[in-house]
Amino acid sequence: MAENQRRWGMVIEIKRCIDCKACMIACQVENQVPLGKHRNWIGRIGPTGTFPNLGLKFEPGNCMHCENPPCMRVCPTGATYQRDDGLVLVDYAKCIGCRYCMQACPYDARYVHPEGFVDKCTFCVHRLDAGQPPACVETCIGGARHFGDLNDPNSEVSKMLATRDHYLVYAEAGTEPKIFYVT
Amino acid sequence: MSDDTIQVGDVFHWEMSRRQFLTLGAATLGALALGTIPFGNQVVQPARNSHLPPTKFEREVFTLCEQCVWRCGVRAKVYNGKVYKLDGNPNHPHSNGMLCPRGQAGIATLYDPDRLQFPMVRAGDRGSGMWKRVTWNEALDYVAGKLQAIKQQFGAEAMVFSSTHNLAQIQFENLLRAYGSPNYGTQRSLCFNAMIIANLLTFGMQEPNRDYSAAKYIIYAGRNLAEAISNSETQDLVAAIARGARVVVLDPRFTKTASKATEWLPIRPGTDLAFFLAMLHVLVTEGLYDKEFVAKHTIGFDQVTKAVKPYTPEWAASKCEIPAATIRRIAREFALAAPHAFIHPNWRTSNFVNSFQAERAMAIINAISGNWNQPGGLFAGEDEEGGGLGSIPQPPYPRVTALRLDGVPWKYPLVPLEIGVYQEIRDAILAGKPYQAKGWFVYRQNPIAALPERRKTLQAFSKLDFIVTVDTTMNDTAWFSDVVLPEATYLERYDPLAVVGDGVFIRQPVVPALGESKSALWIFKELGTRLGLQDYFQYKDEEDYIRQQLKPLGVSLEELKAKGHYRPPTKPETHAELKFNTPSGKIELYSASLAKSNFPGAPIWQEPPAPPADQFYLLTGKVALHTQFSTQNNKLLHDLFPTNTVWIHTKPAAERGIKDGDWVYVESAAGKVKIKATVTEAIRPDCVYMPPGFGHLSKGNRVSYAQGASSSEVHLTYTDPVSGGQALSQTFVKVYKA
Repeated sequence: MAENQRRWGMVIEIKRCIDCKACMIACQVENQVPLGKHRNWIGRIGPTGTFPNLGLKFEPGNCMHCENPPCMRVCPTGATYQRDDGLVLVDYAKCIGCRYCMQACPYDARYVHPEGFVDKCTFCVHRLDAGQPPACVETCIGGARHFGDLNDPNSEVSKMLATRDHYLVYAEAGTEPKIFYVT
Repeated sequence: MSDDTIQVGDVFHWEMSRRQFLTLGAATLGALALGTIPFGNQVVQPARNSHLPPTKFEREVFTLCEQCVWRCGVRAKVYNGKVYKLDGNPNHPHSNGMLCPRGQAGIATLYDPDRLQFPMVRAGDRGSGMWKRVTWNEALDYVAGKLQAIKQQFGAEAMVFSSTHNLAQIQFENLLRAYGSPNYGTQRSLCFNAMIIANLLTFGMQEPNRDYSAAKYIIYAGRNLAEAISNSETQDLVAAIARGARVVVLDPRFTKTASKATEWLPIRPGTDLAFFLAMLHVLVTEGLYDKEFVAKHTIGFDQVTKAVKPYTPEWAASKCEIPAATIRRIAREFALAAPHAFIHPNWRTSNFVNSFQAERAMAIINAISGNWNQPGGLFAGEDEEGGGLGSIPQPPYPRVTALRLDGVPWKYPLVPLEIGVYQEIRDAILAGKPYQAKGWFVYRQNPIAALPERRKTLQAFSKLDFIVTVDTTMNDTAWFSDVVLPEATYLERYDPLAVVGDGVFIRQPVVPALGESKSALWIFKELGTRLGLQDYFQYKDEEDYIRQQLKPLGVSLEELKAKGHYRPPTKPETHAELKFNTPSGKIELYSASLAKSNFPGAPIWQEPPAPPADQFYLLTGKVALHTQFSTQNNKLLHDLFPTNTVWIHTKPAAERGIKDGDWVYVESAAGKVKIKATVTEAIRPDCVYMPPGFGHLSKGNRVSYAQGASSSEVHLTYTDPVSGGQALSQTFVKVYKA
């Protein structure tokens, strides 16, 4: 499928995440993310309730590659841009490190690289372009992270979304995030 | 090497010379002069100029992980001469193309600036940090000389050897047996002696395997797979849960596994035995077992039926604090799901001196459910050392007549020699009985950090004339040793082959070894040769060793190296009669071997000790980001899990005025440590929990030094008389504000 007809998206099965953080270290190594910084995370909800009636959930995340990215709108230099396939990327050479994008992102998905520019998840664009899934998806031992083309009705992610209950994070902000959480 | 590096013959102080050390590291590592090195693999251009990581690599090498003992298949990608990224090998059944966080972080183990890179001999008091850099020849001659002197003056038995689950362990064992010492310690008695010995006596094998693919009902009582990750088995469990399998977790702590389970039962520590005896009671009194299987493949059912008669669910409820109705329901649900159901044999079960009985009860429930060799049940475990590999020729070992210091078999008649009772060695060194040990040879193991009552271990070290450690890192044991021999990391060396399922797998160098670090195969052969034991080491080098192993398989080393694995043509499956490697050839529900050694032949209740009102059970348990005591200096892992805290329930915390994040003391009869508190609902109010692997003493590991507190400092030593397992949850502690 041509690049402009693709829509890359991620589906995360909440039940399958065990909070091991292999995705975080895989990303850090793959993308040379400096120590102390991370492009992805695992949110922890809980423990909720009181002993012994407890609940605990993990909600992995990274840049949602929003269809309507607020980070891009506020960028004064055009460093943050959207590719034809929907990926939201940063042209580091154009970034002046003003951090407007960090304020605008409701997901707190961006960090300041020690070299002064703002960095975030690229969905491992270099690997996608080489026909490989993002590093976090490849190593997820719980099999929680799924990745594929939302425009292709036969992709694993499209099929999951067609049949499983799912939710979006901060959908009310109108961002149209492309990470879908299957419950 | 420039003038400011540490040269052979230099005496240096570990901390004072860090600057020089770093320079040495930079000289050795080549491209490391990039300023702030995050974790060593900074092989691409600074990010702003070329933000896209590479997708084409110089080479990809298939090898085996060693961030824990599960040995996953790894695909290592090399860029600019350095390991850039580690992926799971899709062709290895332990990884299936994925690596856990520790596996992903392997490059920070390889490129750890603190790792050992040349042989060193102590040049000050033990633990003073004063070392002298020596050549390999000097180091090996010195170690061989000491070993010979101890053997001549006190006998070979005065040398203790210990190692834990390493691929080259077979050659370490070869060295110690050729040398003639009976004293050998593994870490297993600190972990799962109760499990393996109960299963040996029941099924004739150490650890039955589990078929998750069709399991409908799984019970865990000491295996936290979401945090104590064994990659493929963790994958299997998550898949089983997603498929809808019912999972019951017995744990006094709300672990991540418990959070994923269908049902979490916060059992009182030490009473799993009561739960399983009652379950057994329900199954036999209600006839909920596979009668045909029991008649055909087991012995001793009647004795077990009689033995468990008093153990009603009502009786058990008062012990384990789980309602009788729940126990009864779980027994019936389990029976209904059988044979597609199993009680996991568990790992972390040497918790109390009655844990052996609990393991026996679990094994018996599995046996009578008829789940053996059934989809979703148990089956024979992997044979790690066979696989039709060739062996290296050697003469017979000298006969050893000396008693073993760990009491096997004279005090622990049922513990296999190759397993041993590790903590007893330490206590025998301290007591000087039945004779005084003089030296300790440690191969990639860490008794100071791992054994309970750390102070006693340090005292035992002070009674020894000679301690030599082979390791990749300056861990606490290396820090207090006399000689430290640097082993190459798993990404830089060959090891003996690994057999998994129907495949043979190779660990091979991805990049050349840093500094002067060497493979264990090389180190042991060199030492053996200097001890006049060269006939026991009939291999020229590592590659020759592996070629000899491969000989019967008809595959070349080059082929194996290219693919990383080899699967011999599968033999037609034989559906022979089920046979178990027990004295009767059947599953022994009642064990005559136990009875012969004056232990109960059928499981019985043994009341565990309980803490006084103002004290807590001290729980232990692994975390996903660290392996035992060995990964805390890995910067990638440290970044996400830098230190430990003590978990305490909200109510007792409030009673003591302890708020989340407060400093507290955790104090037992063995010692006390200062640590921050995590106040949580996720633990029984009568328990506290400390993750192991922190509070390191070695200043040689600058990342992990003094981070958090050591649970080994407070653990007391209690040994199960049957299995020799250290009862790690039988330590009771006071917790109070610091």
